Amino acid sequence: MTTTVARRRATAVRRGRPSTTRRQNLTGWLFVGPFTIVFLAMLVAPLGFALYLSLFQKGIIGGTKFVFLGNYAKAFTDPDFLNGVGFVIRFSLVLIPLQMAISLAIALLLDVVTTRFARFARLMIFLPYAIPAVIGALMWGFLYSKNFGPLSDIFGAFGAQAPDFLGSQLIFTALLNVVTWQWAGYYMIILYAALQGIDPTLYEAAKIDGASQWQMVLRIKIPLIAPALVLILVFALIGTLQFFNEPQILRYLAAGTIGPDFTPNMYAYQQAFALANYNYGSAISFALGAVVFVFVYIFLFATRKRGGFLS
Amino acid sequence: MKINKVLAAMATLIVAGSLAACSGGGGSATSHGSCTNKITKTSAPVVTMWAWYPNMKLVIDNFNKAHDDVQVCWTNVGGGKPEYDKFQTAITAGKGAPDVVMVEADHIPSYQIQGALVDMTKYGANDLKKNFSAGAWKDVSVGSGVYGAPIDGGPMAMIYRKDVFAKYGISTPPTTWAEFQDDAQAVKDAGGPVFADFAANAAAPLVALESQAGAKPFTYDSAHPKSIAINLNDAASKKVLDYWAGLSAKGLVGTADQFTPDYISGVIAGDYATYISAAWAPGYLQGAGVGKGADADVWATAPLPQWDKSKPVQVNWGGSAFSVTSQAKDPKLASEVALGVYADDASLTDGWKTQTIFPLNVNALSSSAFVDLKSDFFGGQQANKEVYIPAANGYKGLTYTPFQQYFYDAFTKQIKAINDGTSTGSQAADALQADVAGYAKDQGFTVK
Amino acid sequence: MSTTRVSPRPSRLIAPQLVLAVLVIYFLIPFWWVIVNSSKDAQALFGGSNALWFGGNVDYLNNFVQLFTYDGGIYLTWLGNSALYAFSGGLGATLLAVLAGYGLAKYRFAGRRIGLSVLLGAVMVPTTALVIPTFILFAQVGLVNTTWSVILPTLLNPFGVYLMNVYARDSVPDELLDAARVDGASEFRTFLQVALPMMRPAIVTVLLLSVVSSWNNYFLPLAMLTDPGLYPVTVGIGQWQSIASANNSGGVSLWSVIILGSLVSVIPLIIAFLSLQRYWRGGLAIGSLK
Repeated sequence: MTTTVARRRATAVRRGRPSTTRRQNLTGWLFVGPFTIVFLAMLVAPLGFALYLSLFQKGIIGGTKFVFLGNYAKAFTDPDFLNGVGFVIRFSLVLIPLQMAISLAIALLLDVVTTRFARFARLMIFLPYAIPAVIGALMWGFLYSKNFGPLSDIFGAFGAQAPDFLGSQLIFTALLNVVTWQWAGYYMIILYAALQGIDPTLYEAAKIDGASQWQMVLRIKIPLIAPALVLILVFALIGTLQFFNEPQILRYLAAGTIGPDFTPNMYAYQQAFALANYNYGSAISFALGAVVFVFVYIFLFATRKRGGFLS
Repeated sequence: MKINKVLAAMATLIVAGSLAACSGGGGSATSHGSCTNKITKTSAPVVTMWAWYPNMKLVIDNFNKAHDDVQVCWTNVGGGKPEYDKFQTAITAGKGAPDVVMVEADHIPSYQIQGALVDMTKYGANDLKKNFSAGAWKDVSVGSGVYGAPIDGGPMAMIYRKDVFAKYGISTPPTTWAEFQDDAQAVKDAGGPVFADFAANAAAPLVALESQAGAKPFTYDSAHPKSIAINLNDAASKKVLDYWAGLSAKGLVGTADQFTPDYISGVIAGDYATYISAAWAPGYLQGAGVGKGADADVWATAPLPQWDKSKPVQVNWGGSAFSVTSQAKDPKLASEVALGVYADDASLTDGWKTQTIFPLNVNALSSSAFVDLKSDFFGGQQANKEVYIPAANGYKGLTYTPFQQYFYDAFTKQIKAINDGTSTGSQAADALQADVAGYAKDQGFTVK
Repeated sequence: MSTTRVSPRPSRLIAPQLVLAVLVIYFLIPFWWVIVNSSKDAQALFGGSNALWFGGNVDYLNNFVQLFTYDGGIYLTWLGNSALYAFSGGLGATLLAVLAGYGLAKYRFAGRRIGLSVLLGAVMVPTTALVIPTFILFAQVGLVNTTWSVILPTLLNPFGVYLMNVYARDSVPDELLDAARVDGASEFRTFLQVALPMMRPAIVTVLLLSVVSSWNNYFLPLAMLTDPGLYPVTVGIGQWQSIASANNSGGVSLWSVIILGSLVSVIPLIIAFLSLQRYWRGGLAIGSLK
């Protein structure tokens, strides 16, 4: 809080010293320069190049020809691409609220329970974040395998058939579980840290006013950690829309259920690297990037009053 | 300061990491990347190679031992699709492909049309033509060019569990698809396991089974590369797909993907009475641990069931060749390797003894040791003489497309739809036809 | 601060602790499965009855030997590569982020405002969307299938810059910087001696985040690399899985090796996280502070 005041004062002071502008310019750019170079080379150049590539089409027969926006027109009428987009949207709509609810619930719980076991639990719940998504998916893939994993044993003990988590009906749930397992702990830690940052005198005051635990959660804790909630929402949104690693790995176990067009990213990979249609692959990549960008920007714009992200 | 300690620790890790990266592994850190095999004759020029035969290490050692003028640096970057993805990536990049690559015969046209393979007739391929049957040679040829050295084929048969057959009273293996279905029903009615597996990730054998019923999925002549006839929904294809769709709907066959750990567990546990597969299957199954523990000595093989017993048709699944890529630094030397690796007696013998390959080399095929082999996996059965050699001799060949990967992926999708009950066999055939024909047009072909 | 916190009586804590215990079990189950099953040979894996308990013979040693000798010990190379990519990429990205974040926060230079909004946009560009075009771009200049093809794209971390910017803005008072300048310190010296120590928590956080994301990276190296000797461990194990799925591991039961390899590959980061706890715990929430 005090730094904000200091900052305002400092800015005010600086405005009164226009003579330093040139030096500010030069030193500022010296600091920002290295990143700018990487930014231009690793982000702007590939994006521009993708845009350029996406304007051409290369067939097995007939070579490369300029099609302008033809690839985009094709993508947005290509049922395989649209199915993938539909999947990630449905997946996000279920995953993100679920993940946020779980991580928030755990964070709130850990905020109240301060035993030694709770500290241990916090660490264990966070642990999957340290696991590469590939390895996480691999491990869950083993657990999902009916005969190879424990499901047959567990369900067999009750005389029931083990469910096929890698079949069409349950693959959605199966992936939901892998991703939640992987990220809930990380989001929980972010929320937990934000909760720990709340001024404890607020609770004292609320208690004097006779507020219950629930009221404190709803009236104090959640509103005060709203910026952290927005942050994890953005993380989750960006992460889900570029879904690739987990389904790509589970594909080795269920090539029928998880087709090469399962998510837009997988489809772009398949087009570019398996089928040599890298112009079309670039168009899908670019379209995907643009869609994510627009989605997240709109979202942030809509929530800008509450969040600290765009401030 | 604590932070300095942390940074110092991390810096140490980087150094350790880079040291490990430089020194680790058996491969040498030269321009040809890392090899799985050890090259002892370090002064000879090196040809790099990707291949996934299970006994490849032995094959390469045999070759390197016998050659002083060239040494092979071999890696296994994955079997089938994973390798093809890598190869396609390298073609796109114009860099990173090996000199010699293992390719299944059905994928040769896909790479040939991209100019990614070298015509080996310039380097003496035709001298070896006499070692192979006309069909095997045709599979690796495009027009008058030869784009691969044939190694093995995959004559198809029905591998089955003697214990399951005995338990459910099947005294003779089914010889027709009608009997196959009856037996499957009988086993199911008696509370037994499913009879076979109808896997979404096994499109290639299903194409073979369609062709057994008389389907001719593609007509393609490389002399006229721009036009292709696609015929995936004719009566024969629909008959086969409806047949399997029926088995699937009645629960007579499983629907699990093949080659997964779960499938292997099931195979070992006796969850599948038969495995409709090729001659190389025993080698691969044993590599995964089948036939060694509780399921030792339960396996046998019988000819593939027929639609019409009086007019048997033999089909083929898989079988690979070694091709020289156009990124090869020395195509002549690479051709020498492609034509010479896995062509020596020791390697071929090891291959067919373990039933990892069904050789195409006529010298191996006609050797009495091969013909009379008593297969360990099949409990001493003379599998080659009884089943696989007749199947191989009866095989007439099949035409492949320049977009085989797309075709298989599209087929996988349709098999899945059948197994999910969202499509009948005929509907799947129609959908597949539309899908593949659309793709071919999109790629610039004239579709007839 | 926990002393002033309202702590419910111990008796009421049993239920929440039970909930936590269930959660811990859930989050640890995959680890448990991997630990148990990396002790088994192929026969126990495929024919074994109990997938959640040890088989008859616990054979870690043999599996360890297999893991570190298979393919000429390539697994060790992969671990080394992962470390190399993660730390060089992570350190590089952090360095760039610290410089740029500080510059954006503390200098009012021309183009700063537009730079900030471009940066915010860049945070939202999914990195995987960049992989394919970057690959084709690198292919033109002959960079694919090299160590650089994995490290260079990892250096880009707009979110790190954003975090550093927010943190430097809020926790490095301008007065201190001005005081240093008045004392005659150069701009860079001021940055090194005054600002840098104050930005420590954010630096550790950004470092950790970028190291983790490049250690976990799969899509980028999968696309860029064809030489198995350059793979990081994620791509390597993924490839083993594909080889094992094609059943052609040449007599070695690759699945045992894959399972143990997965276990070993997660140990370094787990150790890093456990030992660096006090640094990252607070830092992870920085992005959400105003």
